[in-house]
Order: sequence, then C-alpha cells, then structure tokens
Amino acid sequence: MTLEVTGLTHRYGDELALEDVSFEVDAGEIVGLLGPSGCGKTTTVQTIAGHVNSTAGGIHLRGEDITADPPERRDVGVVFQEPTLFPHMTVAENVAYGLLPAGVGPDERAATVDRYLELVSLSEQREAMPAALSGGQRRRAELARALAPQPDVLLLDEPLSALDRGLRDRLREEIARIQRETGVTTLYVTHDQETAMALSDRLVVMSDGQVAGIGEPRELYESPPTPFVASFLGRSTRLPVTPPGDPGLTLESRALAGDGGTPADTGLICLARPSDLTLLDSERTETECTLAGVVDRVTDLGTRYEVVLTLDAGGELTVETQRVQLVPGERARCTIDRTDLLLFEESSGRVGPVC
Amino acid sequence: MSTHTRTTWTARSTLLVPALLGGLLLVYVAVPFVAFLARTGTADVLARLGEPQAQVAVRNSLLTATTSTIVATVLGVPLAYVLARRSFPGKRLLEGLIILPLVLPPVVAGAMILTAFGRFTPIGATAYAVGIELTGSFIGIVLAQTFVAAPFVVVTARAGFGAIDERLERASRSLGYTALGTFRHVALPLARGAILAGITLTFARAMGEFGATYMVASNPRTMPTRIWVDFINGGIDAVVPVGLALLAVTLAVLAVVQRVGRVPTVIDR
Repeated sequence: MTLEVTGLTHRYGDELALEDVSFEVDAGEIVGLLGPSGCGKTTTVQTIAGHVNSTAGGIHLRGEDITADPPERRDVGVVFQEPTLFPHMTVAENVAYGLLPAGVGPDERAATVDRYLELVSLSEQREAMPAALSGGQRRRAELARALAPQPDVLLLDEPLSALDRGLRDRLREEIARIQRETGVTTLYVTHDQETAMALSDRLVVMSDGQVAGIGEPRELYESPPTPFVASFLGRSTRLPVTPPGDPGLTLESRALAGDGGTPADTGLICLARPSDLTLLDSERTETECTLAGVVDRVTDLGTRYEVVLTLDAGGELTVETQRVQLVPGERARCTIDRTDLLLFEESSGRVGPVC
Repeated sequence: MSTHTRTTWTARSTLLVPALLGGLLLVYVAVPFVAFLARTGTADVLARLGEPQAQVAVRNSLLTATTSTIVATVLGVPLAYVLARRSFPGKRLLEGLIILPLVLPPVVAGAMILTAFGRFTPIGATAYAVGIELTGSFIGIVLAQTFVAAPFVVVTARAGFGAIDERLERASRSLGYTALGTFRHVALPLARGAILAGITLTFARAMGEFGATYMVASNPRTMPTRIWVDFINGGIDAVVPVGLALLAVTLAVLAVVQRVGRVPTVIDR
C-alpha cells in the first residue's frame, strides 16, 4: 500500500481531536475520508501532510515512516479547502513552484507545466494572475500545482466545498478524470456523501475523531457497520422497536435478544432508508412490518416528496415518495420490506435485518 | 433631481464632515511649512549649504540613517515574522517593549542608551578598551537612531506578515520548500509593500532623530544636531538652509523608495 495511517491520535490542548485513527490507501486508489464538520477529517489530513504533529500514532508512505518528517520531505501534495494559489505569481509560475526544490531543470520544468496545465484545461490562462481566474479555474490550477511534482499521495481537503452545486458537479467529474489519467493515490476529504460515493474506490467514515467505518461505498451504504454510518451515508429514519403487543415494530426473533427478553429491553436500534418505506393506501393490506401514525408535514423537494409521520408507537418517521395525496393531520400507514431494515445492537454495532 | 445626481450629492455629503475635519488638520500642518519656506528669501541658502560643516552634517545624516535603517530592517523583519506567526509566553511583553521607543521622549531614550552603553558602563568600557566608542561617535548616532526608529519597520512588517494567509505558507511547505525557503518565496514578497512602508518610515525617523542622538552623540553632527547648534548661535534664519536640505533629502529618498517599491499611497484595492 502507499499510505498507512496507524493509531493516529491528536489533542488540541485538552480536546481530543483524533483518537486511534487507522486506515490505508493502496497505490492508485482514491479513498474518500467522509464525516460531518468537526469530526477530525482536516486534522487527519494536516497530520498526514505534516502541518500538524500528532500526539500519538504513525504515518507510513511507501513503507517509510514519515511521522516525524517536516512537510517538505513528505512527497505529499495538498489541495486545501480554501484557495492557496500564490497571488504574486502567474498560473504557470504557481504550477512550476513545486518543481524547483525537486531539482527539475528549466526545460523539463516548462514541459511539465505545459503538460499539467493542459491536463486541467488551463493552457490559455498560463500567464494569468490568480485573481483573474474563476473559482473553478483556481481549483484546477491548484490541482495542477499539487500534481506537477508527482507526489506519492494527493490530499484533497474539501476542494469543492466553497463552489456552487453545478460547478461542484462538473469539477468532481474532472477530478475523477484527472485521477484516472494520472493514477495518483488520492485521499479525498469531504462532508458531502454524494461526492464521496461518486468519487471513491473506498470510504473511511469518521465520527467524533474516530473511524466509524471503512469499506467500499456501496457495501457501506447497504450494510453500514454502525447507526452513525447508516444515518450519515445516505439518509435514515429510526423505527420504534417495542415489545410484542405494542403498536411499534415487533421483533420476533428471540435469538437477537439472546436473553429471552423483548428486543426493546436489549437496546436495539432499528433504522430504515426513507426511500425504502412505502406509504400504504387504504385498499392495501398490512404486512408484518407496518407502522401507523398521523401525517405531521409534507415537503415538496422537487424530485420527490418527504412525508413525516408521528407514529402511534411514538417518535417520527420520514418517508420519501414520488406522489402523495396526504395532508397534515391525516392518518397514514407505511410499510417496509424486512430485508431493508437496518438493525443494530446499541452496544455492539450491527446485528442484521430481521423483522 | 435625477437618481444619478442624487447619488452623487449623497456621496459628497457623506464625506463633507470628515473632509472638513481633515482639511483643518492639513491646514495646521501646511502653515508651518509655508511659513518656514517663506524664510528662504531672507537666508542665503546655497551659500550656507556650501559650507563644510553643513556638508558634513548632510553626509553624516545620510550615512547614519541608512546604516540604522539597514540594521533595523535586517534584525526587525525577522522579528516581525516571528511575532506574526508564533505565540509564546511573554509575547505581549515583547510587543510592548518594541513599541515603547515610539512613545518614549527621545531624550529619555538617549538617557537609557547612555546608561546601557555609555563610556563608564560595562559594555561601553569593554568596547572602548578594544577601540570602539559607543557614544560620541558614528556608532553612537546609529545606536540612538536604531533604538528610536526600528519599531516602525517591526510594527508595519508585522502587520504585513499577519495579513498573509498562513495556508499559503503551508502550501509552499508541501510543495517542497523549507521554512526559510517559504519565508523568502512567499512571505517576503507578499509582505513587501508593508516592509517597504516600514523601511521608509524608519529611514525618515532616523533622518530626523534629534533628542536621543544629541544625548548619545552630539558629535559628529547630523543635520538635526547641526540645525540645533545653528539655531542656538544664529536664530531661526540660520536653521533654514540645513532644515531645507533635511526636508529635501528625506522627501527625495521617500519618493525613490515608494516609486521603486510601488508602495501604495492609499489602501491597496
């Protein structure tokens, strides 16, 4: 593997920012580091880049321990969240900047700059100053600057977060293309699960300074290891789990509880994707996984509707649907296929799909 | 009234009060200049400036102020960078110490330098023993000017470095540059305007320095000490030639520095 992060821990004063973070990035792979704001993503990237010294843990690049190395000796390219093009240099000078300490001669330097400017479609802007570039062009110029010295690993720290949606989508595709063409090993940091799912070969999901799950995007989405991953990677809504006879979902399998008690006693968490829930009309018969309640609100999201039910069993449930005739205050029922349920034991993570 | 006219009138009226207040200050500053320059008719300026004493004073001022500015810049710019980039215990105290010479009466500053580097202090005596006179000498003038004028370059350069996004420097480090290389290629060019402004102020202050200089080294004469001696001996009119020379030299140097360094005269948009 190219990058190996082992037991990374970092404190800002008394505050624990990272706790025992471990993951690997294989050669040529693009790994998404995904998590909500403040979960430690940027600290992880800054530690790998050498701008933050970790309290504990190790970083290996191509098998070499670089934990104590200064940033300039790491062969790690970084594209920061905010633009960092040098404002006193042209685009070409910015791209050439990292080639000088690498000992690249003038002719090869010029050829490399041309090659990378062409790669990011900025050949015509080579003599432009950064202030004259659009937001998307600046990001592309930074990408070219980070790639030109051919780093072992490219760290992209939320490079698209400051851009509008349309530009973000276009640049996301461009980053994917550039990564494919260069084959550079990439760690892509984002809080946007859509971007992470679309770009990544594998995902590392972080929560509260810890790794909450690692795996291929589809695998993590369909079989999330923890309730956090289930709720962060795609949307999820929590279903009430109650003892037999009560109006919630009754989980019949005693094997799950393990102690012969009711599932509600064992601290089970039952989640479902809002898109997996189906609203039942009056003619349809109830299935074994049916919940009833009162419509609290209906939100038109353009491509779909979002219906929030206040359940008879307590709590709220969100259902996504393409068409809806319900209005707030009306009674409604919804159902879900038992295999779509995401069931977790609070203490030990995922248990399995059972209804 | 059209919208455009109304907008223009509003914009003008908005600046009316500050313009009036600022105008008063400008008049107050300009009047002594005009009055002083009006005396040139009564004084034989060129003849007085041609005297060896005046020429020595001009030369000494240029040499000492240039030396003081170089010393203040070479030592002050790195200090400004450290102050802009690092937090450490006692930093506030250090910053206060740097600013102190700005608010201290120059005569008191001179007295302080004498108590530290005077002929009969340990440092002064040691230097004297090896043939270096720290007071009453060219070095003494530089010591006094540097003490009083160095804060200008430190304070302005610090503001310049502080305005640079630290992420630019991190990007530079990740592109293979050491901390020193990053300082040279990123921080220094980006803070250039502020540093040059500081150098300009330092030079101007050093050129005009009198109180501390007179205490530490009244000889050899600089232009300000020459002016004082001329005033004592000959009154106001005797001051005019060297005073004008001081004004002209300082303005010329400032103009050159600002032109070469392209230091903005107003807020850089």
